[in-house]
Amino acid sequence: MKIGKMKSGIQKKYLKYTIALLILALLMSSIGVWMFTYRRLSSAIVDKYTSLDEKMGIALDSLFQKSDEVLAECILNTDVQDSLRTGNLEEVEKTTISKYFAYIDMEHVSEYCYVDNKQNVYTRSYSKIDYEDFKKSKMSARLGDSYAKTKWFLAPDTLFGEGKQAVFIGRYVHSMEYAHEPGMLFLKMEEEFLDDILGSNPASISDAAVGIMDGNGQFWKMWHPDGYDLPDADQKIMKEIARTDGEGMIANGEKIHSGLLSAYRQKETGLIVYTIVPNSVISKDLGKILIILSGIYLLVIAVALNLSIYFSKRFTRPIQTISEAMTGFDGNDFSRKVELNTNTELDQIGQSYNQMLVNIENLLDEIKLQERELRTSEMNMLISQINPHFMYNTLDTIYMLARINGEETTMKMIQALSKYLRLSLSKGNDIVTVEDELENVKSYMEIQQIRNENLFRYEIECQVDAKRTWILKLILQPLVENAIKYGFCEIYEGGFIRITVKEDAGQLSLEVYNSGKPIDGKMADKINALNGAPLKDLRECFPDKKHGYGVTNVITRLRLKYGEDVHFEYQAENDGTRCIIRIPDDGKENREL
Amino acid sequence: MMGKKIENYRRLLSVLLCVVMLAGVACGCQKSEQTQTKEEERGEIHIPVIFTVNPTNGKKSNQQLTEAFNEEYDGIYQVDVEWVLETEEEYRQNLKRQNVTDSLPAVITDLRMLPSFYQMMIEDGRLEDLAPYLEADEEWRNMVEPAVMEACMEEDGAVYLAPISTAAFSCSGMFWNKELFEKAGIERFPETWEEFWECCDRLQSCGITPLALHTEGTGWAPMLIATAVIADTSDGAEFMKELFPDTYQNESGVMLAETLKKLFSYTTDDAMHADFDVSFTNFFSGEAAMIPNGYWMIEQIPDGWRGKTRFSAFPGNKLISSPETFGWAVVSDYSDEVKKGAVEFLKFRTKYNREERERLMKSGEGWNVPALSDYIDAFSADPQIVPNYQVKWNSILQEETLEECLPELAKGKITVEEFLKKADESIREYEAEQ
Repeated sequence: MKIGKMKSGIQKKYLKYTIALLILALLMSSIGVWMFTYRRLSSAIVDKYTSLDEKMGIALDSLFQKSDEVLAECILNTDVQDSLRTGNLEEVEKTTISKYFAYIDMEHVSEYCYVDNKQNVYTRSYSKIDYEDFKKSKMSARLGDSYAKTKWFLAPDTLFGEGKQAVFIGRYVHSMEYAHEPGMLFLKMEEEFLDDILGSNPASISDAAVGIMDGNGQFWKMWHPDGYDLPDADQKIMKEIARTDGEGMIANGEKIHSGLLSAYRQKETGLIVYTIVPNSVISKDLGKILIILSGIYLLVIAVALNLSIYFSKRFTRPIQTISEAMTGFDGNDFSRKVELNTNTELDQIGQSYNQMLVNIENLLDEIKLQERELRTSEMNMLISQINPHFMYNTLDTIYMLARINGEETTMKMIQALSKYLRLSLSKGNDIVTVEDELENVKSYMEIQQIRNENLFRYEIECQVDAKRTWILKLILQPLVENAIKYGFCEIYEGGFIRITVKEDAGQLSLEVYNSGKPIDGKMADKINALNGAPLKDLRECFPDKKHGYGVTNVITRLRLKYGEDVHFEYQAENDGTRCIIRIPDDGKENREL
Repeated sequence: MMGKKIENYRRLLSVLLCVVMLAGVACGCQKSEQTQTKEEERGEIHIPVIFTVNPTNGKKSNQQLTEAFNEEYDGIYQVDVEWVLETEEEYRQNLKRQNVTDSLPAVITDLRMLPSFYQMMIEDGRLEDLAPYLEADEEWRNMVEPAVMEACMEEDGAVYLAPISTAAFSCSGMFWNKELFEKAGIERFPETWEEFWECCDRLQSCGITPLALHTEGTGWAPMLIATAVIADTSDGAEFMKELFPDTYQNESGVMLAETLKKLFSYTTDDAMHADFDVSFTNFFSGEAAMIPNGYWMIEQIPDGWRGKTRFSAFPGNKLISSPETFGWAVVSDYSDEVKKGAVEFLKFRTKYNREERERLMKSGEGWNVPALSDYIDAFSADPQIVPNYQVKWNSILQEETLEECLPELAKGKITVEEFLKKADESIREYEAEQ
């Protein structure tokens, strides 16, 4: 069992519920089995003893029939009939009749007495009974008013003996021919007479209390087992049953105080053969069954517990393995994989755990990489905060030198570059006013005009409040750079760039138009297709980084800043290229600044 | 939220399962009440009766009557017949045995043919007085012919024998074999006793045994002829009306004895110590040309014998009849309800008997049986009805003396005088027993 040593809470709970369920099941089944067994056993015992009682009743029937037939034979006997005729019989005839009764076909006849209608008494030779004795015995009153029915009665032997109770069989003997007074015939039966109903094997009913009683509740014979006393209460019940009507089985295993009662009433005599199965007999058999039942239940409990532990282990062990692996995970060691092979869903849980470990490891690696990149960026930013000061100071110095030397172009270029850089760096802010952005692109274009003299001219048309309208910085410069690089690649002069900033349907619209070579249609389509594409696709759009880098940069930054509502479009026109950017909500993102 | 619902649902399911298990246990343990298909008591009252099966032809007596009764009273009364293969004489002797052993059926027949037994049964209170039933039942009374009612009624007005409706079926005459008669050149049945004896001689001379007779069982066949002979004279007719005659040593007695002796000279060799069944067999096997018997034998005529079996009144246009002999009695020992049923059965019998007579007389049903046609002709020809000796003479004479003396008389071992002396002894003996 070793329940105390169990580590698994699931197993404990499982066993707890299993035991509870088992106890409930056993309790219910034991109640059911007990009730069923009690009834079946009682029923079997009742059936057995009812059957035995009925057999004894039928044996009593046979015994009565036998006595009826034998007495009928006596009545029909010619000599007996002659004894009823008017004339008196000769002595020899009387002797014949006396002897005749000694040889009737009936066992257990102790004494007999036949009295004819002339007061002649016929008995065994040694029984010296005359008519006066017979009259005094008052046996004639026992026959009642029946015409010639065979009558059994239990009475004190006032005829042959000294008043001891004995069973008698009596009958009127009528003449077959004439209306004479009837004679009377009595047989006194031996004590063993009624034993015949027990059959050849009285031991078979030795457990039960068997007896014979008449309709008045008088007990004629009792065969009760040792130690059994019929309680008064039961005697009372039996007397009540004796007073009821009916013949044959009149009680079938009726419950009485001392046991179960079966009773059979013999029709003609009204005698009742009863059988009482004492409670001790029923409980004895039930006790045996109880012991067997208890043994079976203990065995079932033992087997069920062992099997429960065994099967619960099969499930809880993998769970324990998973549990240990999870609780033992320190966040570093990703090599502690769970190996399960239970052919159940637990295997999947194990595999999922392993997969989760892999995922966590990958995520950690990625986070570490991002952290590294972040630190590098921070370093760069710090460095870049130092450089502009140095660079502005240097440019101021160069400007001063150019001014001292009177080099106007250099001065212009340094001024433009200085503006450009100031705006490009803009103290690290990425949102600038449209004014600053236009200033920045203007500086850039001036630098480019110095670099490429007469290559192009430009116009800036701002239809919005440039000081109060904000935009992500360095949007226009890459576009202008592309316009110069690709739009004017085939010309050396006469190029034209127009930058238009306006509000269009609540959106801030930026347009960069350049004359010269229109953008390649395929390139335009490829760039236009970037609207709404995932960010990672933007990065992969121009993998060689030779072309489209500036556009991708602009779009990516716009998307990062303004989301997917940003619209970016290149239009190839007959005499140039137009690039249109629409920023939603009038650059509301700016307001945070 | 969803999880909680599922949990509640599981709990409910668990409770339901427990209830089902408990119910299962309870059901399993419930005593299997055996649907006892005990037949519903119909409350039908059974009336035990014993009827005979004719040992000669196996025919059950009164079968149609009991079947008709049981059909009409189905669910109320049922006549339970114990069929016994006995001769009438055996049946009568058994009645006596059943009486002393207190095992009589509820309805008994032939009682009037045992005069002393009948008297004893009355004196011992063994028979139900049917007079109150008849008095209370006008319909029943009206079914019975006055002569029959008179015959069944005792002097004190008691009626122990339920009457049949009519005397028409209680008459006895002579059945004769037409073929054997023709063989002997006899064209018709003799009308006078002289012709009868001539007829017997003629048959005998042709090698045909004239009469089928017997000596046992009150000597029924020879006694019918002999008493018919006696009644041919006026003194003899008066003698036959006497109940328990004082003596047989008179002219009628002599005529009786002489006739009996003469009759046995015209019978078969096996007639001695034989009962009526032997005579019956002899007649219906062509061994004898004549047998005396009553109407009831018509239905016992075997197949193939109906055409040649004829019936005639005894010579001198005499039929022997005592309708009370057909009266059936109810044993008083039985419960009131059984007795009531038994009386109902007897009333039914009267009705059945009346209907039978009406069918026979009016519609001519069964007239294609020559013997039946002959019987109706004989009954309708205003015959002289001679009382049945069985209801008039003492039982010792009938049951002991005749059995003992008839063979001796027939064989000539005793004279007519000795026979009559024995008959008178029976009277004395009977009187002594009374």
